[in-house]
Amino acid sequence: MVMFNYRHMANTLSLYRTVKRLGIPDERIILMLADDMACNTRNSYPAQVFNNENHQLNLYGDNVEVDYRGYEVTVENFLRVLTGRHETAVPRSKRLLSDEGSHILLYMTGHGGDEFLKFQDSEEIQSQDLADAIEQMREKGRFKELLIMVDTCQAATLFSRLYSPGVLAIGSSLKGENSYSHHLDSDVGVSVVDRFTFYTLAFFERLNMYDNASLSSLFNSYNPNLLMSTAYYRMDLYKRPLDQVPVTNFFGSVMEMTHVDSAYHAFSGKTKYETPHIQMPSSDQSTDQAEQQELRTSDASIETKYSVKEVKPGNNHLMGQWKALLDMVEDTDAFVNYGLLAMALVAVISSWVLS
Amino acid sequence: MAENNSEDSSSPPKKRKPRLIAFVGDFLISHSYAVSVFCCFAGSVALLLLPILAKNTYLSENALMPGSAKPTFSSQEAVTAKELIKELIDWKIIRDENRMQTYEIIANHMAETGADVYYHSFYSRKKQFHPMSFFMGAPMEDNNNHSSTHAVNSVGIIRAPHGDGKEAIVLVSPYNSDKMELSDALSVGLAYSIFCLLGRAAWLAKDIVWLAADSKFGEYASVAEWLKQYHDPVFIGKKLNFHPVDGDIQFVRGISEDFKRAGTMAAAIVFKVLETSQGTGTDNVNIYAESSNGQMPNLDLINIVHYLAVHRHGLHVEVGKLSSLLNSLWLKMVGKFLEGVSNIVGSLNPKWRFALPVLDYVEGTAVLASSVYHQALGVPTGPHGAFRDYQIDAITLEISPRVSLNSEMARSSFLVRVGRLIEGIVRSVNNLLEKFHQSFFLYFLTSPSKFVSVGVYMIPFGLLVMPLPILAAALYSGKASEALVQKSDPFNTQKSYKASQENPFPSVGSWKWIHAAKLVFAVHLWATIISVLPSLIYQASCTNTTTNFLIWIALSIPSFFFFYWISLSSYFHSNDAGWAILKALTIGAASIGLGLMSIINFATAQIGAIFLVPMCLMVHPLRQIYRGAGLGELLHMVSNVVLGLIGFPPASFILLKGWSQGFEEVNMGDLWVWVENLWSWNSATYLYLLLVHLPCWVLCLIVLLHP
Repeated sequence: MVMFNYRHMANTLSLYRTVKRLGIPDERIILMLADDMACNTRNSYPAQVFNNENHQLNLYGDNVEVDYRGYEVTVENFLRVLTGRHETAVPRSKRLLSDEGSHILLYMTGHGGDEFLKFQDSEEIQSQDLADAIEQMREKGRFKELLIMVDTCQAATLFSRLYSPGVLAIGSSLKGENSYSHHLDSDVGVSVVDRFTFYTLAFFERLNMYDNASLSSLFNSYNPNLLMSTAYYRMDLYKRPLDQVPVTNFFGSVMEMTHVDSAYHAFSGKTKYETPHIQMPSSDQSTDQAEQQELRTSDASIETKYSVKEVKPGNNHLMGQWKALLDMVEDTDAFVNYGLLAMALVAVISSWVLS
Repeated sequence: MAENNSEDSSSPPKKRKPRLIAFVGDFLISHSYAVSVFCCFAGSVALLLLPILAKNTYLSENALMPGSAKPTFSSQEAVTAKELIKELIDWKIIRDENRMQTYEIIANHMAETGADVYYHSFYSRKKQFHPMSFFMGAPMEDNNNHSSTHAVNSVGIIRAPHGDGKEAIVLVSPYNSDKMELSDALSVGLAYSIFCLLGRAAWLAKDIVWLAADSKFGEYASVAEWLKQYHDPVFIGKKLNFHPVDGDIQFVRGISEDFKRAGTMAAAIVFKVLETSQGTGTDNVNIYAESSNGQMPNLDLINIVHYLAVHRHGLHVEVGKLSSLLNSLWLKMVGKFLEGVSNIVGSLNPKWRFALPVLDYVEGTAVLASSVYHQALGVPTGPHGAFRDYQIDAITLEISPRVSLNSEMARSSFLVRVGRLIEGIVRSVNNLLEKFHQSFFLYFLTSPSKFVSVGVYMIPFGLLVMPLPILAAALYSGKASEALVQKSDPFNTQKSYKASQENPFPSVGSWKWIHAAKLVFAVHLWATIISVLPSLIYQASCTNTTTNFLIWIALSIPSFFFFYWISLSSYFHSNDAGWAILKALTIGAASIGLGLMSIINFATAQIGAIFLVPMCLMVHPLRQIYRGAGLGELLHMVSNVVLGLIGFPPASFILLKGWSQGFEEVNMGDLWVWVENLWSWNSATYLYLLLVHLPCWVLCLIVLLHP
């Protein structure tokens, strides 16, 4: 309940609000908050948390679902959430329900240092622990792509040990640099937001969920002079070019639907399964945001894979032939147009014959 | 093991290399003279360097965040303060028997803010000697011994609106109900306005206790009495009931007589407003921090006050300084010398430049000397001392305005400035989660924003005390003979009288030391007895301090000769060089005494070492020195006599007092007052002076006069 950690909670709640605004539902967000600043006796605005001294926006209003709070926010619980090794009694809402198609955003803020991040005032997570936990996630197929965003002092050191492919990481400061708070709220008497998070939020305030801003535009928006530290991103483990990845892949929940003809096979029988990767990348997300004090985890953009059964010709000859015929048609639009034309033709001919 | 033994016995005994530690010890002991000279010199230099080695203070506790919140104390609060001030001053003018007492006026105002209010009445206590309660802080005793008059504190408690009521911050505003001065009224008014403000604050996590302390019997006494009852509730026996005495106290709603409590005290701030302006151009805040036996509040508390006062509200902050040192010529010379050395070193490498400008050095030394002196005295410098006895961090702020406060305008702007300062301090302490623990408890201040921490100030003391055991061992083992002779006779080529004689020093293992030990023991026994004499004299209640002192002396001297006579017979049967053993034992006793004292009150041990160590190291029978006839002998003799003189506590006291205040004002009674002050405050310094310093001085005298 250290009052000067107010800003960490405000950081986290701000980002929580942003990803919710961009369309990630609460059940896909795991929010870990170590302190309850809203109910801190020293808070001059009881039950409210602000990230700006203008006090326009109460971050702790309705619909804030904190999954892990207070003493539950430990390194152990954090690693359990990441790796999915929960005790059986842990409810689904406190688990990260992701699979090998998920896009996950992991946001962490708090007091950190060279290769560690403090959790409460009693323990810390080391960069190697984090790297190993993420490798375990990868092995268990718990994500496709993972974006780690860290706002602490010397944030870049925290993800220096990562070695799992598919992981993208950005931190607020390089080794030896501090991350500074953005401004002080002289009524509450504390700093209310950190610079890195403040400018991240500022970037997202300009977006709505249909915007197509890319990750590179986010990463390039950080101005070292404004941050008073150097935002550093690590992309050697990440394959896609950043300027083609929309930020909403991680921070939002824009679903790109791809139509497949049939999800289920009409007849079961001797079917052979093949997976032609017809995908429905439903970028439903959760944001996983972890933290010494506040940590929130959410799984981002679960890409669900639907397997389509392909029927062998011979078994079901007619269908097979029809399918083969369909396959030959490459341009569906043209095919439909021709079909419409043909139907019109048939209609004209038939009416002519009937009359 | 067996194998080794057989090997050892079979093989011819090789010369085994001594262990390193034994070798070093042996080396030091056999060069004890050089070691002593070096250590004393280095210790003195380190002592003079302390103001330079002082570091800037910094806030260790992150949670405090002083000045991050905007102060809300406004002129509106100043208006409420002025109303109460006016009422209190008017009270002085009204000569009506039925008027309300001051504590009632204050309590009524407290109750208006919605606080829990109660009266705490207490009786004055006489000074008493408590041989069993040294190191335990404030003198406190049973209620049997009180006078008939009583004083009443008004206490108000604001319960933190969302807090758990487990912790509290205490504000103390002392005032004298007998003669209400403007300054008293201002202190109370200021406290009231802050109390009103805090009563509306939403951010309180700790309860606020305002103690309007009636300092009729002294500021310390009123606070100490209240604290005693706060912490040690009296469940049995008679309640201190003052109703029958006054009869007609009307209890306003919300004011009760029951003692109420808030949580554990996190910190306490005593503030007094002085009427007189210091003429510094800004309002001046004087911080008093020393409490009993040199205990200090956590440095963070002083840091908060300094930070807020200087950097937020533009006030001037001071801590006590020995102003007589400011004009001292030799200190300026030392400062100039150090600056010169630093310039020379700096010309080699600019990074090595270390010295301060001369004026800063002198100023720092004056503050440091005052800090060391007040800690060494072991007497609290204000009512905050009472809190320290319960391990509560507390300071006294003495605030003097820049202009006279007779005009309304000046008063209100002054109240706003100071009110904001105190609000800031309270808000900062309110942010604390735990007790103050991050910063230093053991430190000397060299300015309000500079301190010498324990790790640094231990060095000179260590260097000063280190030669004592070494020389004692050297003397005892007889290895010092060569050095001693050289010391006593440095210019004489014919290695002097001693070397020609047979070695007079007993070898290790002989029991000859037992006679000298008996003498040392007897002297210490005598010292113990005369240390309790003052209480007996005090019981006899002579009012004249000079008479008291003379009685003390008169009783001490015969008793000394009695003990001396008992132990001396055996001492003189020992051989001629018995003085060396006696000196060894004296030095041993001194080093043990200083070592113990450094744990109890470091500053006392530091000052004591400055006096005691050179005297113990140099002491040599005058008659033996007299036999030599060189310049060295003369110097040695003179230094012995001088050190012996200033080593005598009364002599050094009179010298210091005469030096700082002029010799014409010194009389014997002052010494008695000073000593009485020490024991009535249960200062361990009293024990040090009488149980360590005095016996060592007497023993040194015996060595000096050795036939």
